[in-house]
Amino acid sequence: MTRTERILVCCGTGCIANGAYEVARALEEQIAAQGANAQVDLKVCRTGCSGECEQGPLVRLMPRDTMYYKVKPADAPVIIASLEGDPVTKLLYRDEQGVRHEHQADNPFYGLQHKVVLKDVGIIDPLSLKEYKAAGGYEGLARALTMTPDEIIDEVEKSGLRGKGGAGFPAGRKWRSAASYDVWPKYIVCNGDEGDPGAFMDGSTMEGSPHAVIEGMIIGALAIGAETGVLYIRDEYALAREHIQRAIDDAYAAGILGEHIMGSDHKLDLSIVRGGAFVCGESTALMNSIEGKVGEPRPKYIRSVQSGLFEKPTVLNNVETLASIPTILAHGGEEYAKLGTEKSKGTKVFAMVGKVKHTGLVEVPMGTTLRTLIYDIGGGIIKDRPFKAIQTGGPSGGCIPESLLDLPVGFDTLVEYGAMMGSGGMIVMDDCSCMVEVARYYIDFLCEESCGKCTPCREGLRQMRYILNEICEGRGKEGDVELLEEIGHMMQVASLCALGRTAPNPVLTTIKFFREEYEEHIGEHRCPAGVCAALTRFAINPQACKSCGMCAKACPTEAISGERKQPYSIEPAACIACGSCREVCNFNAVLTEGR
Amino acid sequence: MAKTYDIVIDGKTCSAEHGEYLWDVAKRNGIEIPALCRSEAFPEHRASCRVCIVEVVARGRSKVVTSCVYPIEGECEVHTNSPRILQNRKVLIALLAARAPESDLMAAMASHMGASEGYERLEPLDAGKCILCGLCVQACESMGTGAISTVNRGVDKEINTPYGAASDDCIGCLSCANVCPTDSIPFMEDSMTRTIWNQTFELSRCKECGRVLGTQQMSDVELCDACRRKAIANELAETYRFV
Amino acid sequence: MVSDEEVIQIVQSYPAERRYALAAMQDMQHAFNYIPEKGLHCLAKHLKCGVAQLYSMATFYKALSLKPKGKHIIKICNGTACHIRGSVNLATGLKRELGIDPGETTEDGMFSVEMVNCLGSCALAPVMLVDGTYHNKLKLEDVPGIVERYRLADAEEGEAGND
Repeated sequence: MTRTERILVCCGTGCIANGAYEVARALEEQIAAQGANAQVDLKVCRTGCSGECEQGPLVRLMPRDTMYYKVKPADAPVIIASLEGDPVTKLLYRDEQGVRHEHQADNPFYGLQHKVVLKDVGIIDPLSLKEYKAAGGYEGLARALTMTPDEIIDEVEKSGLRGKGGAGFPAGRKWRSAASYDVWPKYIVCNGDEGDPGAFMDGSTMEGSPHAVIEGMIIGALAIGAETGVLYIRDEYALAREHIQRAIDDAYAAGILGEHIMGSDHKLDLSIVRGGAFVCGESTALMNSIEGKVGEPRPKYIRSVQSGLFEKPTVLNNVETLASIPTILAHGGEEYAKLGTEKSKGTKVFAMVGKVKHTGLVEVPMGTTLRTLIYDIGGGIIKDRPFKAIQTGGPSGGCIPESLLDLPVGFDTLVEYGAMMGSGGMIVMDDCSCMVEVARYYIDFLCEESCGKCTPCREGLRQMRYILNEICEGRGKEGDVELLEEIGHMMQVASLCALGRTAPNPVLTTIKFFREEYEEHIGEHRCPAGVCAALTRFAINPQACKSCGMCAKACPTEAISGERKQPYSIEPAACIACGSCREVCNFNAVLTEGR
Repeated sequence: MAKTYDIVIDGKTCSAEHGEYLWDVAKRNGIEIPALCRSEAFPEHRASCRVCIVEVVARGRSKVVTSCVYPIEGECEVHTNSPRILQNRKVLIALLAARAPESDLMAAMASHMGASEGYERLEPLDAGKCILCGLCVQACESMGTGAISTVNRGVDKEINTPYGAASDDCIGCLSCANVCPTDSIPFMEDSMTRTIWNQTFELSRCKECGRVLGTQQMSDVELCDACRRKAIANELAETYRFV
Repeated sequence: MVSDEEVIQIVQSYPAERRYALAAMQDMQHAFNYIPEKGLHCLAKHLKCGVAQLYSMATFYKALSLKPKGKHIIKICNGTACHIRGSVNLATGLKRELGIDPGETTEDGMFSVEMVNCLGSCALAPVMLVDGTYHNKLKLEDVPGIVERYRLADAEEGEAGND
């Protein structure tokens, strides 16, 4: 089939940053200029994130399923001219052997995924209620309206769905528990305060499939008996907020929200609260923030399902959890439970970034191994450098070494090794990443993002930052590693909230798996990865140098010189050890030495 | 009547009401659990210092909880001084001592907990006694003034007035300074004035005996308690004389 | 200079309930690039709470600022992906170009540099956001050109204004 009826232009945050709006405009101009919509109802749809953000802007012709990568406005004339003919070869996916492929699924980045939460993302216009309904949207809600709250919860329990924000609490049990309290009003809250650095799953889901999130919330509200719902969305996520607001407005206009949900006697009002801080991802801090207070966690040993927002029973679910609900209600919990592993059902969305060839948003069944994610879907490490570690779960997670890559990903599997799946951020690191520096980075992040209320988290992080800085700057002392562990273990048991209890994980896991790297910093004053400037000197391997001059061009201090056909060299006195030369070298000719 | 349970704290059987905080039960039974951010003056505790951690064993599982806000909801066994607790409490105190290098209380606690040595590597703040327990803010809010609050977040958190300037809401009552466990809120007083939180207040004195009543912003009372009682007694005496 | 009317308009667009405090402050931030002192006082009066409680919030949430920011706001993403692809080098480059560290504003009030958490464009790391426009996959050597572009645009604007 070579028919084109719709041109889908990915307009996720990544593609917009790469110029997707300009591409969409150029395509529209060309449609008009070439009279292309004379035969068919051709339209350019701006969709949510298709996933492979690095290759964007992405353009897909449907129903012929031709996928174009890295499209520029200048490509518009030839794209429109060949809507019904042979595809534009140079814009197609090119595999390792250099062969071009036309269809999306030919690219292993897409072919190996299994989309439930993201099934409509990148395919329908996120701002169109009509398209969402045409794709089966609000069928789950329609079914839920014929059921009792208990039956809805049964269905969710059957699915085995667990909270995808990181903790993995069974969603059905949480709902049942909130439903059991005879206290009104009750609230349903969507946690869209995604703040892990390197994670953008929830933002993309809200941008690309806002109605799925809203439908999930309505179903949840029916199950627990809530008539008010709040979506707490990070202030920085302007596009996600815009799309959610539009979806809420459209749902009200269509009678899906408001006094009579789809003509029933149930009512629900939804509104957005703009969020403020990483710590507000913690449930009680989030509720304090909604109430107009400082976003500090509450010290109480009482669960939110009993006393949450405004001290009323509250269900707080993460975006991805809620977006999984419509499918579960429409097709049954048992169907959903067929995916994944025994203890972790369904799928999980990951934001895979860092030193991996294909970066972006992927959704795979639970139980997929890290190796499949990195090497089959992600295409391996950039410049085929050696893999070193993958950081999962953001600042609450840990760094996992090569030896554990065959672990199936799930809620419980990584925890045994001190890491966690977390909300789904995955940062791939190669041998140019220093594990001590990575730990310092996360501790730095947490020093600012901790609310600062309790001693273990606030003071523990401050001292950890100090010690890690000392180590990175060449002033590490014997006993530092043990002291870091001592502080870390105390934080794990004594901190007020989950954030503080997991805050030492980046330090503890890097010590656990990369202890020798700490010891090299401390004992030998050497940063093997060549990151810590005080402990690094770069040099060029004359055997590997091809004299291309890229390094000299990239050097900000003009420390590199050389002549044609002669190996280049670095003047140590002028070198600031920024690593730019190594970054650009295509022959891995830049080596690191201890200072 | 609320349900009661028998719980065992450090080997001693104690009776606890359902929902009662563990710290309170221990205290009633003569078991003192160290705590810095807790005051009898307030019904709610901030649970921010974490020094009152204890180990609770229930249904065969052991967990570390914060006793000042941990409600008793069943039978359990509590260890306030297990090796695990002592170790973690020691680190906590070492961290607080580094945070408040000028605090005598923290130095004494560190010495008592064995945290004076072995933690020289920690970076002390340049000066100060504040351990950021937050009792001062709680006191100020409970007075209805709300002149001070926590400022910033994370490791930069501190207690201050808005913009670090004199606050219209402050009445100079000293509640904050009085509740502070480490005496870290400085104030100065001379015969006429009191200076606290970047602001100088005129003092009012008892009309009779001249004792300091407080700042003029605090109230319009003119007599101290003793003189007021005396005045009332005198009045009554006057009254009876005419009967 | 922010006028009283502008502040009052924002404050009164919300019901006098504490839970709207953050939203009102976010609006002021968007409108004025900072929260003026009178904005806090006005909001405190409206919500019948202490200025200290609002000040506490304003210093807690990083998106809120109590000092006026520069005309151009440069946000360096320091999400993990950007970090391991060299966002710190971008800060060094900006320091060399503008003489300020993240968190500061140039003396002429033209540029503010901020180190921010993940902007959600990790696949394009390292990313810098200038006045809402993304600059992707940056290298240290790209920094001077970007700053220059905004300076030139300002200079042209200034000349146009002088005509």
